[in-house]
Order: sequence, then structure tokens, then C-alpha cells
Amino acid sequence: MATIRQLVLDVLKPHEPTMLSIAQEIADTDGVDGVNAILIEMDEEVRNIKFTVEGDDIDYDEVTTVIEDTGATVHSVDQVACGDRIVEDAPTPQD
Amino acid sequence: MSADSESLRERIGTDMIGPIARRYFVSNGFDGALTGVGVTVGAYLSGIADGLTVISLGLGAAVGLTTSGVWSVWEIERAEMRAEIQATEDAMLTDLSDTQVEREKMSDQVVNALMSGLGPLLGLVVPLTPFLLEGALFTLFQATLVSVGIAVAVLFAFGAYMASISRQRWYVAGIRMGLAGVVVAVLNVFLPG
Repeated sequence: MATIRQLVLDVLKPHEPTMLSIAQEIADTDGVDGVNAILIEMDEEVRNIKFTVEGDDIDYDEVTTVIEDTGATVHSVDQVACGDRIVEDAPTPQD
Repeated sequence: MSADSESLRERIGTDMIGPIARRYFVSNGFDGALTGVGVTVGAYLSGIADGLTVISLGLGAAVGLTTSGVWSVWEIERAEMRAEIQATEDAMLTDLSDTQVEREKMSDQVVNALMSGLGPLLGLVVPLTPFLLEGALFTLFQATLVSVGIAVAVLFAFGAYMASISRQRWYVAGIRMGLAGVVVAVLNVFLPG
């Protein structure tokens, strides 16, 4: 099966642990080369974060396990890139 | 000093022993030291003949206060932890059992309960040490005086410690706390019975 090279995840997390520590834990996962985390929305009890994960062979199950172990939940997978290289979203006239 | 031990000291000073644990430690340590003054002065005034009996009385009080400190804070923190987790679970619409959130709150609960018990244990047991030397180095009266002095020093240390984290003058805060030990000793002398 083709390897996952890029994942964009919509994650809901409590205020603690921090976005920083969750990003570090994802980055420590095998097959992950780098992580970007950005705050989308902040509520009284929770924060909505977009994680962009890149690597040679991302293990989706391991990444979600790491995220859920922190108390956060993956709301949706917003973008995936698989195969030998990352293919960018191609603009179309409809866009 | 290695980086690891510096990091450990930093954690003990700030993060690992959080503000709640510090409050429990000092508040219950204050209780312990003042109870110790009451027990030792009361024991001397009631005519107890030897230092070991005073130590037995003091250790009995230490067991009671330490158990009270650990047990009550364990239950209080457990309830607070459950309430906080439930509020977060309601907002997240998920179960946070066996996640970092629960593990960290449980860890805080353990640290808070231990610090709550450690305060009165130190506050009570340390001032009892002169009674070990009663007969060898001190008379019972001298041992009582030294014990009150040590309790006042422990209270002073608590005050100075709290001042060190709140940028107050350490000696003023220490004297304010230490004065309580002197007041309790004097009250014990003048109160009837």
C-alpha cells in the first residue's frame, strides 16, 4: 500500500496539554519528519487546532493514537497526500 | 552542578510542586508546628517526667495530622479533578479516561496529598528532636525551650520560603510566621490548666 506523506488533521483538544507538546509528540512518531500546528479557534474549555504532518511513511493509526492519548480527538482528516511524492492540490477553473 | 539537577531544582521550585501543593504544605506545616508547640509546652506544664513520653505524644499528634493532611486533600483533589475532567469531557464530547489529561491530574492529586502530609510531619517531628537528648544534654525544661525554638525556626523557614516566591522581604515574612509559635507557647503558659 502507498505510503502516507502528508496529513492535515482537524483536532479538538483541551487547553492542557499544550499544542506545542502535542506537536512534539506527533513529531517523535516513527515516519514523521515534521509537524505544523496552528490554532483555528479557542473556546472556554477547548481549542481547535490544525495539524499538518509530513514524513516519508506516516503511520496514521500511530499518529491518531498519540493525539488521542493526550486527550485530544481527531475531528476530521482534511487532506492526505500518498505515494512516492507529495502532490499539491491543483487549482481548477471552478475554484 | 549538572543541567539535570538544575532542571530538577527548577521543577521542585516552580512547576512540579505547584502553587496548590505549596499552599497545602505551608498551611498544614503551620498547623503541625503550632500543634507541636502546644503539645510540648502542655506536656511540660502538665508535669510529664521524661522526654520520651513527650515524643510519644508528639508522634501521636503527627500521625493524626499527617493522616488528616493526606486523606482530606486526596479526597478534595479527587473531587476537584473529577469536576474539571467532566467539564472538559462535556465540552469535548469524549471520554478522557486514561489520557494524559487524567494522568496529569492524578499526578497533581498525588503530589498535593503528599505535600499536604509532609508539611505537618516536618512541622511536628523536627521540633520533637530535643526531647531525644533529654537527660543526656538537656533538662526537660531546656528541651521544651529548645523545642519551641526549633518550632519557631521551622515557622520562620515556612514564612521565608513563601516570601522567596512572592518577592516579599524574607525576614519580615519569616518573623511574622515565627511569631505565631511564640504566641502559642505564651498562651499555653498563661491559659488556665
